[in-house]
Amino acid sequence: MANSASLIVENLNKRFGGVVATDNVSFALDPGSIQCIIGPNGAGKSTFFSLLVGIQKPDSGRIVFNDIDITRMLPAARVKQGLGLTFQTNRVFHDLSVRQNLEIAKAAGADNGNRVKDDRYLLALERFGLDAGDHTPARNLPHHQRQWLEIVMVLACGPDLMLLDEPTAGMSPQETGNTARVLRELNQTGLTLVVVEHDMAFVRDIAQRVTVLHQGRIFADGPLDEVTRRQDVRDIYLGRK
Amino acid sequence: MERILRLLNGSEDIGRGLPYWAIFAAVLALFIAVPLYLSEFAAYNVSFYLLNIPMALGLCILWGYCGTLSFGQVAYFGVAGYAYGIIAGNLINHPLGTLIGSIGGIIAAMVLAGIFGYFVFFARVQTWIVPILTLVLTLLLETFLGQTAGYQWRVGTVQLGGYNGMTGIPSFQLGSYVFSGYAFFYFVLAIVTVSYLLCRALVNSSFGKVLLAIREDALRTETLGYDIRVRQWIAFVLAAALAGLSGLLYVQWGNYITPSQVGLLAAALPVIWVAVGGREKLLAAVIGTYALNWINYKLSSSGNQYALVITGTLLVAVMLFFPRGLVVSLLDLFARIPAKRRAHGE
Repeated sequence: MANSASLIVENLNKRFGGVVATDNVSFALDPGSIQCIIGPNGAGKSTFFSLLVGIQKPDSGRIVFNDIDITRMLPAARVKQGLGLTFQTNRVFHDLSVRQNLEIAKAAGADNGNRVKDDRYLLALERFGLDAGDHTPARNLPHHQRQWLEIVMVLACGPDLMLLDEPTAGMSPQETGNTARVLRELNQTGLTLVVVEHDMAFVRDIAQRVTVLHQGRIFADGPLDEVTRRQDVRDIYLGRK
Repeated sequence: MERILRLLNGSEDIGRGLPYWAIFAAVLALFIAVPLYLSEFAAYNVSFYLLNIPMALGLCILWGYCGTLSFGQVAYFGVAGYAYGIIAGNLINHPLGTLIGSIGGIIAAMVLAGIFGYFVFFARVQTWIVPILTLVLTLLLETFLGQTAGYQWRVGTVQLGGYNGMTGIPSFQLGSYVFSGYAFFYFVLAIVTVSYLLCRALVNSSFGKVLLAIREDALRTETLGYDIRVRQWIAFVLAAALAGLSGLLYVQWGNYITPSQVGLLAAALPVIWVAVGGREKLLAAVIGTYALNWINYKLSSSGNQYALVITGTLLVAVMLFFPRGLVVSLLDLFARIPAKRRAHGE
């Protein structure tokens, strides 16, 4: 498959003081898939992402991306290898215009060598209805468009694997549906996606495989139907322990 | 060529297009014509207001565009000034002595900033600590220079001079031609104009845009694939080079330098000039620097004891009522009025 990403995580551990945020997590991604990570608040989903992208350093364990050990690499170097991340709280450059935001992201993509997959960037730009020449400051955009802008910016860097941390938080059902549609379309071009999400309707809409994190550990992993049918998964989500 | 023009006319500094460049040319012409309406002594004072501008430009890029405040710009100003004094003083009979001294002065400032900045940015010191670290750097330098009185503190034939400072620093010269009076004024004017235009091109370049991104959100910039440490370091060293340039012009102007030039009071001044003008835009910093130096000079030369108190009050007032700086806020206001009129007319 063309430029599909492989990601293997082995025995990853991270603790903050007494809190074990990531507890011996091992994980192998299906290249070219859309995989969702779910779990109650504090399950360690965002920490897991920040370990993958290099914002946090693991205490032990290994992360291998496209056959390269990236465990000790800086975030920028990982992005050059083809990793992309959108944050849980929107982090576009709020004081800069849409155009400036996209220019900066595009220039980063050009920096990343031959990785610029312009077609995905242009596809997302068009499907989300954003204008690359828009002089509006990003902070004046409605919330859902800021979220979309961040996705498009990350795509401009030419990732093979995109990590999305709650991309549809705060969106209306229609906006969420549109996001799911575009992400599926991007996936069909060969882009691998890992999405942290709470919205189960959204997860049902896009996930091919679901991983449940609970207290820093992988609690369940498999096809969507199989995982969501399990009684113990329902219990931790509903707080019945 | 076309690329350079596009960079100069970019949107990251105040003013674009023909009207802006017409005003720019008119103001420049006004300065070029100074000998027609100012005495040589007055032109010499104007040189002083101008020569602080490169330091302000550097601080503006580092603080306003890249988001890192430094209280240590005067350290590089002082290092360049002292290094020039030492080199040019020892090469007093060499035809290119002052040129070598100038290059040496800027290199000295850049080396100090390069080493210091390496530890600051590659150790990922948090942004809010940098002003304190840079202030400590300049105060250490002041303390060191203050105790260099006595004959043992000399380099070749030049004495560092302790609190009395270094005196008899040679003026800039090429061959046997000494830049003084009007000639020195033109020398400063040319350097300041070129510095401004180069900085303007820089902030409009793709490098400049990444600096803005770092200011807005360093982590997001990093996770787009930019190594922000290198870029912050480059901005830091560049700002030091520009501060060094001002330091050079200062010692070539007054032929002396004292440790108080790198003291607490001096350290605060560039920050005040840039903040009062508006740190987000180069031209605002330029105007703020020129205006405050002019006001300060007029007040203190007329025997006013409160020149610095007035400057300080101005800073507080501007920060309270125009937190983005006077020039930036006023221009914003002017830009909004026609927009409103148009809206009413339709």
